[in-house]
Amino acid sequence: MIDRNNARLLALAGIMIFVSTIAVLLARQFNIGPERPSPDFRTFGPRTAPVQIYEYTDFACPACRHAAVKVDEMIKIFGPGLRVSFKHYPLLRIHPWSFHAAAYADCAGEQGKFKEYGDLLFENQEKWAQTKEKPKEFEDYAARLKLDWPKMLACSDSPETIRRLKLDIAEADMKGVNATPTFFINGKRAVGGGQLVDQARKFENILRAAKP
Amino acid sequence: MNGKIQIKDLIGLLARLAVGGLFIYSGLIKALAPAEEFGYAIESYKVLNAQLSLWAAYVAPWVELYAGLLLAAGVFTRLSAVFSGALLLFFEALLGQAWLRGLSITSCGCFGSGYGNSITREFTQNLVFLALAWMAARYGGHWSADKAVETL
Repeated sequence: MIDRNNARLLALAGIMIFVSTIAVLLARQFNIGPERPSPDFRTFGPRTAPVQIYEYTDFACPACRHAAVKVDEMIKIFGPGLRVSFKHYPLLRIHPWSFHAAAYADCAGEQGKFKEYGDLLFENQEKWAQTKEKPKEFEDYAARLKLDWPKMLACSDSPETIRRLKLDIAEADMKGVNATPTFFINGKRAVGGGQLVDQARKFENILRAAKP
Repeated sequence: MNGKIQIKDLIGLLARLAVGGLFIYSGLIKALAPAEEFGYAIESYKVLNAQLSLWAAYVAPWVELYAGLLLAAGVFTRLSAVFSGALLLFFEALLGQAWLRGLSITSCGCFGSGYGNSITREFTQNLVFLALAWMAARYGGHWSADKAVETL
């Protein structure tokens, strides 16, 4: 039989376990805790920028295409005050080729052209996003940017690339991301380009102060 | 007990906080990261397959966090310290077999992916914490929840 002291200790242990579990789950949801860095080729802006944006994006998502324009504008306007890191969150159930697109963009990034390749994917989204066969556009864009396509193919199949993408997806799932584009601006969540601009306004003073 | 603070009690408390703190930190840092990240680290030890590594990665951070919290607070102090020591021994066995087999492990996974110690350094560090866990089990009973409950 459990004596009174042990019962109290058990109750205390239960409370500690319960409270710590809730705290961690909330911390995950509110994006408290270290952010996994994106590879350098997916990151734009100085490391020390006062405003850090992480964007979970899907190259086959129209809203991400519109948001990309806004992000580009913000980078132009706020320059050194802003650092944008892209993370992949391909919505595989509705966009059959977005995982491939993300992998090729990363592999283009390894050849120094993540942004350029990503821009082509966004601009021509309707041509490749819903095709039945594997889109030939992936190779066309690589050729247009003078990228080494065989190297990109090997890279896109490599365990390292696949692992990196899966980790981005797992991280997004853990944070409760379920739509693209989702942004975390200094830890504050924004979904879609409209919310991004609203949230960014809150940091306008910091951003303007950091202007050269 | 004459109410005087004895040095061994202080050592016991510090050992408890050190080992407990270590487990809280390592559990927290992993529980706040995707399980897949830790899963890949476990997989690199080549003891479990990918599926089981992922399951272990789901469970282990919480076990570490709870063990650390209970030990730091001094709830069932001796049991918590022995359990923490057993966890450390288990980690030593994993590190030891990886070292003996010459596995190339870039990140031990001990504190998430952002932290990479060499296997030998991690092994040595764990030995220190193992000694501290023993001290916590032996002398960590003072200034603990166990003691507080006794006096209620």
